[in-house]
Amino acid sequence: MPSILNLDLAALGSQLFVGLSRSMILFIVCSGLSYVLGVLRVPNVAHGSLYMIGAFSAFSITKLVAGPAGFWLALVLAPFIVAVVGFVSERALFCHLYQREHLMLLLFTFALSLILGDLVKIIWGAEYKSIMSPAVFDGSISIMGASIPKYNFFLLIVGPFVAIALWLFATKTKIGKIARAAAVDREMVGAVGINVSWVFAFAFVLGCFLAGLGGALVAPTVSITLGMDHNLIIEAFLIVIIGGLGNMWGAMVGSLIFGLSQAFGVLFWPQFAIVFPYMAVVIVLVWRPKGLLKSVW
Amino acid sequence: MGRRISSPKKAMVLWMSLLVAVMSLTTMSGQAEARNIKVGIVDTYSGPPAVYGNDALNGFKLALEEINKEGVLGGKIEFTTRDEKFKVDVAMAMAKELVMRENVDVIVGTINSGASLAISEGVAKAEKIPFIVWTAKDEKITGELGHRYVFSTSENTAMGGKAGGVGLAKLPYKKYWIAGDDYSYGHAIADAAWRNLKALKPDVEKIGESWWKIGEPDLVPYFTAIRGAKPDAVIFCTGGASMTNALKALKSTGLAAEIPSWIHTAIDHAVLKPLGAEGPEGVLGTIQYLFYYPETPENKAFVDAFRKAYGNPPGFPAFNAYITAHLIAEAYRKAGKIDTEKFIDAMEGLKVKNPVGGMVEMRACDHQAVYPMYFGKTKKLPGYDFVVATDIVTLQGNEVLPTCEEIQKKRKK
Amino acid sequence: MRKKGSNTGTLLLLAALAIVLLLLPSVLPRFYTYILSLIFVTALLAMSLNMVVGHGGLFQFHHCVFYGVGAYAFALMITKAGLPMWLSFIAAPFASALAGLMIGWLCVRLTKLYFGMLQISLGSLIWAIAFRWYSLTHGDDGIHGIPMPDLISSTSAAYYFIFLFFVLCLLVMYLIFKSPFGMALQAMRDNPDRCAAVGINVRRHQLTAIVIATFFAGVAGVLFAVLERTVFPDLLFWVLSLEVLIMCLLGGWFTFAGPAIGAGITVALRTFVGIYTEYWTLVLGVLLIFLIFFLPEGVMGFIDQRVGSLGRKKVPGSQGV
Repeated sequence: MPSILNLDLAALGSQLFVGLSRSMILFIVCSGLSYVLGVLRVPNVAHGSLYMIGAFSAFSITKLVAGPAGFWLALVLAPFIVAVVGFVSERALFCHLYQREHLMLLLFTFALSLILGDLVKIIWGAEYKSIMSPAVFDGSISIMGASIPKYNFFLLIVGPFVAIALWLFATKTKIGKIARAAAVDREMVGAVGINVSWVFAFAFVLGCFLAGLGGALVAPTVSITLGMDHNLIIEAFLIVIIGGLGNMWGAMVGSLIFGLSQAFGVLFWPQFAIVFPYMAVVIVLVWRPKGLLKSVW
Repeated sequence: MGRRISSPKKAMVLWMSLLVAVMSLTTMSGQAEARNIKVGIVDTYSGPPAVYGNDALNGFKLALEEINKEGVLGGKIEFTTRDEKFKVDVAMAMAKELVMRENVDVIVGTINSGASLAISEGVAKAEKIPFIVWTAKDEKITGELGHRYVFSTSENTAMGGKAGGVGLAKLPYKKYWIAGDDYSYGHAIADAAWRNLKALKPDVEKIGESWWKIGEPDLVPYFTAIRGAKPDAVIFCTGGASMTNALKALKSTGLAAEIPSWIHTAIDHAVLKPLGAEGPEGVLGTIQYLFYYPETPENKAFVDAFRKAYGNPPGFPAFNAYITAHLIAEAYRKAGKIDTEKFIDAMEGLKVKNPVGGMVEMRACDHQAVYPMYFGKTKKLPGYDFVVATDIVTLQGNEVLPTCEEIQKKRKK
Repeated sequence: MRKKGSNTGTLLLLAALAIVLLLLPSVLPRFYTYILSLIFVTALLAMSLNMVVGHGGLFQFHHCVFYGVGAYAFALMITKAGLPMWLSFIAAPFASALAGLMIGWLCVRLTKLYFGMLQISLGSLIWAIAFRWYSLTHGDDGIHGIPMPDLISSTSAAYYFIFLFFVLCLLVMYLIFKSPFGMALQAMRDNPDRCAAVGINVRRHQLTAIVIATFFAGVAGVLFAVLERTVFPDLLFWVLSLEVLIMCLLGGWFTFAGPAIGAGITVALRTFVGIYTEYWTLVLGVLLIFLIFFLPEGVMGFIDQRVGSLGRKKVPGSQGV
């Protein structure tokens, strides 16, 4: 047990903020996965690949348009690019499978992830790429003595923003409500004359949009490489499912648990960080076998 | 065949032609020794390590262009590649396929240490086919698990650690934190660096360790925790994409400016280039090849040829692979025929040209290539749009390698 | 419905297949013998998974933990404990079954995706132990060059050895599939509430199925170690578990032999397409999409519908195959 006794309040405060920002990063990346699971009832294995395409697209945009303008443009455009990829995959292939067994849908998303992964290699190549956040985010800010990098602070604010936006959308707009209904009882929704297939298409595309947004937002903090689809994916899945199937606030709680346990675990037990997410899940599921919050279906 | 030959003369002609035909066939199969030499490459061409697999392949191909102009033993060196996707079981199956189905003469590869050890034991030793490791850095490959059929042209963790230890021992830091990727490479380089540093400077103290999963994208929590512990310096044990993440986090948390750090291969171009001018300055690193140092005419020629062919300057995998190709060619020439045992005998103690000048030796006692390591500090310099290494100290090969006696002792255990 | 006497037909076909497989090593080049051995090992693993996924309806997302535990137990018994190979061979699958019992007991209280996620987490903890406990397991360096008796050292000898145990395990699994236990398990997959209402202890049945399946996974792990003489942490990693699950889906998870076909296709594809291109995952992805659309019951299901022989799809109320 290293120098925890040397840690002052400022250091603990820093760690808290950093943990919260990590939670928000996780949440932003997971939100799309959670939404698709909630409406289509399928864990989208291709979510990681879509996130990766978001990051790579953001990179390409910043190469075309230099400076901070390029970054903000990337934040706006990259999610749309990923949404288009999702739309094409969905209309061309996925939508024909909605009547099938769920494991078949899972298999489809897995196949899609294999294809997208290699397509990224073909289009962008194997070299490491990187985006810099605009200069306005350089350095750290200090909150009551605790310091946190400015970009991480930015993500800490964006996270809840995305959550609230998604929640408002899902509960207050007409299409959001229809999507929720379709998750619970698609036959009924079909029976009242709504084209369920288009509802699912919309939900899937929104999930892809969020994946792309996650990729673009996270891009300045990581190296953009092949295989980045695998890095977050297992944590994303664990969060989304332990939070309560398809429950967005559950995903938020799950993200908080993961982010904070990582941040504080790293303070006290940094040699064994690889087990933290799994330990968190074991503890949660043994205590709450049905997930943290109510599942949507 | 009932018909009688009508005259003895015709019979003799027939027998003579038959004899000539048979002789030419047998000499052709002896001449089949003048066939092409086949090299099978198992490496990772997918995922984050792919950039190194591609770099190595390019270095190898560049060398082959030169070698095949002259040819080796009357034929050329040809190669075929297999993508193991960084998986040990796939690497094993592919190595076996190269040996049993493609009938390669030599296997070369890979960046995955676990796969290298598996192939070394399960394919090279079992099938008696030489295996030259060109990027994996595990010191056990030519150390305690080394044997007659495995060679390495890669710098290993023992060398990197020693170079780091020697370089750091010259600096005044006492309290160290060790952090890195949680897998055998990370731990091996940490152990090597620490034991060398401690041996040279006994008053250094390790105040803590952090280990994250390879590829962990968010290193900020780790770095803020390290900063809170206030070490004098940090030894980072990471590489590749993980290192880019580390360098980014070093900059964003401000740790790079506050606390000096050393990373083996920090000055690796593949990692520094994407960061561009935003790469952190003042980071200490070691590596065995830099395309901008030493500024010898040989290095410049090598870099220009590589750039012309592939668009980028070469990295350390290209350096390793280039040397590998020349070792293979020279060893076969020296052996005189395509014979595995003669090839191995020829390889031991063989010296080939180092692309930056001087020679590289393939040490006989452990089959490890010997070349210098460079220890430097990152800095932004005009003329480059990414940070480069400066204040470079060169450590000769035999300064950083474990001695033959140490290796023999390890292997006996 | 089945024709009477087609059972004999099936048996003859199987016998012929067995004879062909036994003769192959004498005609095939060594490499193909090796690949077939690898396919048998992978097929056994996939079929053991299918016992719980296809027939039991459980979301066994981290089956490879048990495969890896068997392989490591075998390797460690031989290299660290110095036990003779034959003893380790018999004991190692029990280590897997024990792990299966412990993890299964914790997971079986949960349903569906939660079952899967808890299993991934518990399994990953075991992976982390194998990965980090360097002095015992050599971490991700792996354990290589595990000594094997000369009797089964050569490529052909290893093939026969693996084939023998593959067939034995298949027979046992088939008997279980057809037994009342197996029937009850499938009934629980289709309608657990009704089964509970009739007095069947659903959880106990499922746990038993898990223990049996993980035992066979352990056997597969040991056979892998015999074939490659090496073990490494990838064998315990969730990525491999996902791949094996895909093999079951690809082959047809409602059938008995389907997963074996899926395993064969995946290994063959990876090996033979890998010779020509590094994009063999792209090819696999495209192939999977093709199969999803045109062969929705998986490859075996498709064959089954056309030919109606091995492993008939279970329909409630049918008299059995």
